[in-house]
Amino acid sequence: MIQSVLDPGGPEAARILQLAVTLFIGAAVIFGLVCVAMIAAIYGPRRMRETLASRRFVIGAGIFFPVVTLSALLVYGLWVMRASIAEARAPADVRIEVSGEQWWWRVAYVTREGTRIEEANELRVPVGRGVEINLSSPDVIHSFWIPALGGKIDMIPGRTNVMRVKAEREGVYRGQCAEYCGGPHALMAFDVIALEAGAFEAWLAAAKNAPSRPEAAASGRDLFNASGCGACHAIRGTEAAGRIGPDLSRVGGRRTIAAGTLPTNAQNIARFISDAQHVKPGNLMPPFRIFSDEERIAISEFLMSLR
Amino acid sequence: MRWLSKTLHWAAEHPCRAVGVASGAAAVGIPIGALLFAWSGAYSVAASRGHWHVVELFLRFGMENSVRVRAPDHPPADLDDPDMIRLGAAHFHGGCAFCHGAPGTRPNPVVQAMLPSPPDLQDQARVWSDGELFWIVRNGLKYAGMPAWPAQSRDDEVWAVVAFTRKLPQLDAAAYERLALGVADVRPGDARELATSESDPDGVGACARCHGAEGSGPASTLVPLLHGQPREWLLRSLRDYATGARQSGIMQPLAAALTDDAAQKLAAYYARLAPPASPAPVAGEPDIEAGARLASEGVPQAAIPACLNCHGPDRSPQFPRLAGLSARYIATQLHAWKNGKEGASATHAIMAPIARRLDDRQIAQAAAFFASQPAGGGAAP
Repeated sequence: MIQSVLDPGGPEAARILQLAVTLFIGAAVIFGLVCVAMIAAIYGPRRMRETLASRRFVIGAGIFFPVVTLSALLVYGLWVMRASIAEARAPADVRIEVSGEQWWWRVAYVTREGTRIEEANELRVPVGRGVEINLSSPDVIHSFWIPALGGKIDMIPGRTNVMRVKAEREGVYRGQCAEYCGGPHALMAFDVIALEAGAFEAWLAAAKNAPSRPEAAASGRDLFNASGCGACHAIRGTEAAGRIGPDLSRVGGRRTIAAGTLPTNAQNIARFISDAQHVKPGNLMPPFRIFSDEERIAISEFLMSLR
Repeated sequence: MRWLSKTLHWAAEHPCRAVGVASGAAAVGIPIGALLFAWSGAYSVAASRGHWHVVELFLRFGMENSVRVRAPDHPPADLDDPDMIRLGAAHFHGGCAFCHGAPGTRPNPVVQAMLPSPPDLQDQARVWSDGELFWIVRNGLKYAGMPAWPAQSRDDEVWAVVAFTRKLPQLDAAAYERLALGVADVRPGDARELATSESDPDGVGACARCHGAEGSGPASTLVPLLHGQPREWLLRSLRDYATGARQSGIMQPLAAALTDDAAQKLAAYYARLAPPASPAPVAGEPDIEAGARLASEGVPQAAIPACLNCHGPDRSPQFPRLAGLSARYIATQLHAWKNGKEGASATHAIMAPIARRLDDRQIAQAAAFFASQPAGGGAAP
């Protein structure tokens, strides 16, 4: 499953699941014992009831037992998490900066040479290598959570939090915003695509450049520029350089649009252009009802061609 | 009559019960009585007969006090500004003069037969304060034929009408015609034209009264320059005004009166006109420079996109060109959005959230920048 804490895809999530299961089973056992003791205390024979009410029993079972159990749990938890700390100290192979905006994800891959590759709403990571994600936000508190890969960390305005992620197998992992950040918070998700290391490097190298697009999409491109879309959206290699909304340089190759709201295809893109407020009410993109159907299709096909 | 004395004795012995019974009887009886009175048709609603004097006094008393209580106390300072007066004059000629008359025209007998009949504003406007006049023009009056302003979110337009109404007593027929008709050339027409209504002797529908025509620009800085605007934009605006999707008490009635064919012709006409030479910009330098930055870069942190991305000279013909529009017009439109102007048009959906993110200083800067650009040309993004 692509978004489940019960199906870990990386070591961090596996550790968290291990702790969680231990906690859950242990708690269930203790709960069972407490229930039995409660029933015995009400319905049991007199001697049993007296024993249960005695000071020795209360102090033993109510103070000693929890202290011992919880201390053991603390030690066990720290022992399990030491691996996370070690990983966090090791240098990361890949660095990604994610800024939580209302209500989408501004993603930037920072290469070893220091160049930034702007993307949005989707992360690509290499399998088996540690990825450092720098989390920040320019507006309100968001929270970055990929359930199958690890825990959640808040993105707090004015502060950069660092998270380590490693995916152990190829596939798609879905994440979402885990801190209420305004109306469309419920429609603020993202995909993490784990690629085999070579495929990841190839993708990163290609992403630096402008997307290749066939000339058939020229009318859509001209409409895109003339209608002011470039005021908010950027497409590498064109005059569109807006930073207010998501970077669209490779939008045609993403699995979803509008931060996980709709699957990427021409009809959904067309629908979002003219009806953004019905698809994702409250988001910052106004509806563009000025286009004829042919114009909308042309722009959508242009955007789909950006891969 | 024994029942009467018995009743009175009973009432004297049980005063509370008597009051209760009497109130209950009134609470039931008065509405039933009123219903029967109305059903009987005994009261004449003829406008031809006029009101009973008492009824007229009472209605007038109620109306004056209601207006006085609700009228705003602080009118804006610019009610004697010539641009406001000219805008108000042009609207008055088309929207108000039919009922209220105008200097130099005879009162309309059909309108005079209304009850109450519309007052002659040259004498009667003086009984009201500026705020009271504003309230009446904006909200209309119940039980009278005075309509409310068609665009309830456009108080700025209503103040222009108030400004003109204050000027009206000082105008004779010639002065009124100059203000109301502007550069519109309304010729008397020959007999056949008059008989078949080929010419419009009032010039009420003439766009040129406000917007000018060949060789002349708008009569007031509150009116936008249409010369050279994209044809698709002009047509879209006229259609949006006609359906009320775009709010303006001045433009809506005029656009609604146009057939779509007339709208197409007018849009093509103004799109082809060369803009007249524009006067030098009034705002000082710093505003223009700051406005240029705002127009070409926007303010990304505040989600304000750069104006020129949509309003530049080579952009979609669905959007207006802002270069050469008067600073006052641009500022008025942006402030109208901030003050709650609503609309259902496609362009309102795009611009309203952007305008509402601008603060007053940014509005002044953007307006100054675009006003300083030559109409029909101007900077590209």
